[in-house]
Amino acid sequence: MPITILQPSLAPPPKPRNDDASDSDSEGGADLEGDIAMGRPAKRARTQDSSIMTPGEIITDDPQWMRGHGTYVIPGAQSNTILSSVAGTLAKTNKLLSVRPLRARYTPEIGDLVVGRIVEVQAKRWRVDVGGTLLAQLPLSAINLPGGIQRRRTETDELQIRTFFSEGELLVAEVQQLYNDGAAVLHTRSLKYGKLRNGVFMSVAGVGGGGGVVRARRQAFTLDISGTDEVSGSEKIDVVLGVNGYIWISKHIEGEGAAAESSGPGITRIEESVGLNVYSSQNDIIPVDTMREIARVRGVITALVENGLRVDEEMVIKGYQEAVEMAKEEPDSADTLWLGGERGKRLTNALVGR
Amino acid sequence: MSSSTLLLSPAELAYLHSSLSLTTPAPIRPDGRSPTQFRPLTAETGILPGTNGSARICFADGTEAIVGVKAEVEKTPVSPYEFVASTEGRKDHSEKKSRRKSKKAENDETSMDVDEDGDEADSAAPVKMEGSPDWVELSVEIPGLRDDDSGTVFLTSMLTEALLADGEFVKKLWINRRFHWKLYLDIILISPPLSYPLPLLSLTTHLALLATRLPRLKSEADEDPMFDDDWAAATFLYARQDSEPKATSTQSTVRAPASRPPITLLVMAVGDNIIFDPSKEELAVADSAVAVSVAEGPSSLNSSESDPDSTSTTTTKRNLHLLSVRTIDPPSRLTPPGVPNSVNATAWGTMTAATAAAAATPAGSVASTEGAAKHPDARVDETEDVVGVWKAPRGGAKFAMLGAMVAKVLERGGVADEVLDGLEGVELT
Repeated sequence: MPITILQPSLAPPPKPRNDDASDSDSEGGADLEGDIAMGRPAKRARTQDSSIMTPGEIITDDPQWMRGHGTYVIPGAQSNTILSSVAGTLAKTNKLLSVRPLRARYTPEIGDLVVGRIVEVQAKRWRVDVGGTLLAQLPLSAINLPGGIQRRRTETDELQIRTFFSEGELLVAEVQQLYNDGAAVLHTRSLKYGKLRNGVFMSVAGVGGGGGVVRARRQAFTLDISGTDEVSGSEKIDVVLGVNGYIWISKHIEGEGAAAESSGPGITRIEESVGLNVYSSQNDIIPVDTMREIARVRGVITALVENGLRVDEEMVIKGYQEAVEMAKEEPDSADTLWLGGERGKRLTNALVGR
Repeated sequence: MSSSTLLLSPAELAYLHSSLSLTTPAPIRPDGRSPTQFRPLTAETGILPGTNGSARICFADGTEAIVGVKAEVEKTPVSPYEFVASTEGRKDHSEKKSRRKSKKAENDETSMDVDEDGDEADSAAPVKMEGSPDWVELSVEIPGLRDDDSGTVFLTSMLTEALLADGEFVKKLWINRRFHWKLYLDIILISPPLSYPLPLLSLTTHLALLATRLPRLKSEADEDPMFDDDWAAATFLYARQDSEPKATSTQSTVRAPASRPPITLLVMAVGDNIIFDPSKEELAVADSAVAVSVAEGPSSLNSSESDPDSTSTTTTKRNLHLLSVRTIDPPSRLTPPGVPNSVNATAWGTMTAATAAAAATPAGSVASTEGAAKHPDARVDETEDVVGVWKAPRGGAKFAMLGAMVAKVLERGGVADEVLDGLEGVELT
């Protein structure tokens, strides 16, 4: 069936949030909880409206309330009117009023693992799209030189800045520093970071309401694929879940990539590492089975996002195993990779045990 | 025309291209669809109360379009010559005139002839109905693009072309010798163009036209037209075969022997694979892309008679014909090429000899570039294809490939057939 046409349905009402996040500091990033600290145990009284506030809507004019994230007061006006500045649900924490946006851009924090795309090359730095309100910057001094050589960046390096990264290229990096305006400075000074190849990119940025990528202990991991034969059984897939909602799924290469074990050579012995193809844009030969499984992982993540589930290591691995099982159970041995629509719902229902 | 630029890295492009050009067992699309599978879509009609017909289609990736069709009665300009001419003579002359007028819209002279013959054979009306391309006005709006942007203009002309190509559509707008309906189609993409919007706009237009109803004519012959105030009695522009016997009044059955508005499908080729409904990333690695417009032709006489039986009989007898084919400049031509490792100054492979020098002197990386240039394979790698390195496709679509793409669209029980079936299943409100 090449085409499925669905009847329009009403959007489901925003679910009241249950505080069962795996670790208490997992908010922020693309799941947009901001500083409301919803992960904490509900010691304080907190009520929540399920209705949606729109930007400019008056929340209250009662002077007892304080304004929090997502709200504003009209400056100069003597009234105590608090208005919503975003579209989202109202959250009250004691006397603090805040509006949690339905969708918003990524707010960087120091230490975040992000996947970014170069959009601009300047004399001494790159501007990187990380899905935030502002472009992040990556200074030339914050990258590893090929071979891990430690030296000052010279004019020669500035002249050949495009041989390291050029427009459109993807990289995985860490947020090193934040400016006052919220712009991030990135660095790739680790073997785990650098240019991305051998895989596919997908973006689940800006998904609110508990879906999307959440900050977790591990943002990058390796997945064993369940190939059909012995040969492909040894293949692995790397998944990099950028906190900003940008995701990279690629073929695993021993000792390379963000998911590599941290027991590798340290920063002092960086030049001793072998097989490092840091700035290559040439793909290796990828077996067909690996390509299929990469597409399947991508489908799993899409299904998770479409059905409002969080995207983290546990969910992706469980979802992938479930998807493989589903494919095996298919009556026709077509082994379809398509995980949208009804199949995606079935997959996520099986995951959350509904 | 190239659709809006999409930034992709050479490594991504190389991966996409290699996975899409796999032939055994099938190309692997990034979202796991089969080559002929469309993105699931949500469709509804009758969303705009102020229009004669409207539709909204939303793709799963979030692109969404609405189309409103409005009709007004307009006086047909009549040349003074036609008043003095006899009925016979008038008929011939006006026929010629309409041909001259719609010359640009006519692609297929032979099919036009067949249409007219068929019409004369089964129509009981004493006067010949004919239309002019001016009776339809179509406007496309894409957010972020100006009205006179080449992309918008191209989309508008492609959709208009499909509508007017076989001259069947404007015939439906004929009221009598002195009046006709003028149809305004407003096609609006309400989401940012996340993928090339042509198929979405075309499907939405198709659905809106299916849902379009015109007030029932009360007057007769050539008097000033009078219409029934009752909207419930309005007739569908494209007569529905199954649902309401009320809608298929005598007038509309005569007018429309089971014809349907055209649809335009976007088809792309990567390697030897033909892929339907490409997403933006897929289009970015296309070797060639083609927009194919098809319409359900005026089916043969016995099929129009057997219409009321069931929908299945009409499906088997669906008579698709080609209206137009347009090649679309795929954005892949503008993508930056990848750098093979053998000529890449920063790749590990060529650094071995120069590493020590690079560590010692600041100019070391220049030395390594020279080293790479001396490499015997380097020159070859810069010009030839290297496995795993992206290179933008050159040249146009191959003839055999174009033919294969068109054939795949027109195939009986193929994609166009299924899409038409799917759209037919949408409830009209």
